[in-house]
Amino acid sequence: MFQETSTASMVTKYESEMPIDQLDLKRAISGDERALQRLWSQHAPHIDAVVRRLCGDAELAADISQEVWMQIFRALPSYRGDSQFGTWAHRIAVNRTLNALRKIRRLAKLEVDIEDDSAVTEMDSDRTFVAESIEQAMGRLSPGARAVFVLHDIEGYTHGEIGEELGITAGGSKSQLFKARAKLRKLLAHLVDDSPTVAGKGKGHVASV
Amino acid sequence: MSHLSEDQLDEIIDRERTRELAPLNEWRTIAARAREEGLLRESQSARVWGSAQPWLQAAAAVLILIGGITIGRSTSALPSSASLTAAASAPTVPAPDAPVSAAVTPVSASFTSVDDAAATLDRAVREYQRASQFLAANNSAPGTIDSVSIYAARVAALDKIQAATERALQTAPHDPVISQYYLATMGARVATEQMVARPVALKGF
Repeated sequence: MFQETSTASMVTKYESEMPIDQLDLKRAISGDERALQRLWSQHAPHIDAVVRRLCGDAELAADISQEVWMQIFRALPSYRGDSQFGTWAHRIAVNRTLNALRKIRRLAKLEVDIEDDSAVTEMDSDRTFVAESIEQAMGRLSPGARAVFVLHDIEGYTHGEIGEELGITAGGSKSQLFKARAKLRKLLAHLVDDSPTVAGKGKGHVASV
Repeated sequence: MSHLSEDQLDEIIDRERTRELAPLNEWRTIAARAREEGLLRESQSARVWGSAQPWLQAAAAVLILIGGITIGRSTSALPSSASLTAAASAPTVPAPDAPVSAAVTPVSASFTSVDDAAATLDRAVREYQRASQFLAANNSAPGTIDSVSIYAARVAALDKIQAATERALQTAPHDPVISQYYLATMGARVATEQMVARPVALKGF
């Protein structure tokens, strides 16, 4: 469960599926609209997904996604090709999103959340809430727990990397992840209550947004 | 309410990890923001028009006009290799049959400066224009019965030239020679297309 998968391994897989045309990249760096659009088209599904999962709110995510892409475009001239473009852009997306969330104080209580059991504070509402997808369920997590869960279980960050991103300890990250997963197991239980495997009843629910 | 097992949750997470999500914004929204910040400019092939030096823009405009005129006028002499060659060639390379003035500097000449080359280019454009007018006034051979197919072949050839020069401009967007070939080809193509669309004009003028 808490194995230390590295960010590089996951993003590398993603990169191998989406090779970047170096000439296109040069044009994009020079501000060429078509090249920038191609870059956006190629990477937006992944980049925006990271933003959306971290935000837990589609409308807020759309706003932050714009900021993320502006930051990627602004930073393009500084891209040296030392890492894969997707890795580089992904890092910007995570940083920018977390910064934006901090600014609007959605992560202001992150450190407090680590000490408190946020799952307990929402227990009553959880009893009547049934998530139809993991995205909905993630939306029920506290901002801090959601960030840790998304970064670790979805994006493949290590607890050390998460600690650096969020300004918490690796132990704090593990604690948050444990709480997040426990809550998700409860929120999504109905997906498998009547069937032996998740792939049965749950498939349709999880796929829908 | 029961709980998912850890494995069951991992299964859901695996599926979520690979799920494609639609972009949160449309490109035009992103592009508008980028344009506001000056992060985005028009694509290179389109930018040739705006970024060219004034003398090049002026020459290009004249070329398009002349290309059109020349192609149009030369329809009375189809097939006219002289006018076709002139239309598709760079202005500094006079058509072999055209009565071009000796004042035009040969293409192999060396120029002392950019201004010198630009002045030569201006002279060549003026000579090109005069040659076109001369052809229009004196070359009145009748068109062939296969005029339409010849025009169609010409359009197809010009399309290939245009595509090739467009590709070249992607690599060398500021190269004046490629730009002029590109613009001259565009002008010639437009004029030829107009002639194809006007069958009456094929017979005579």
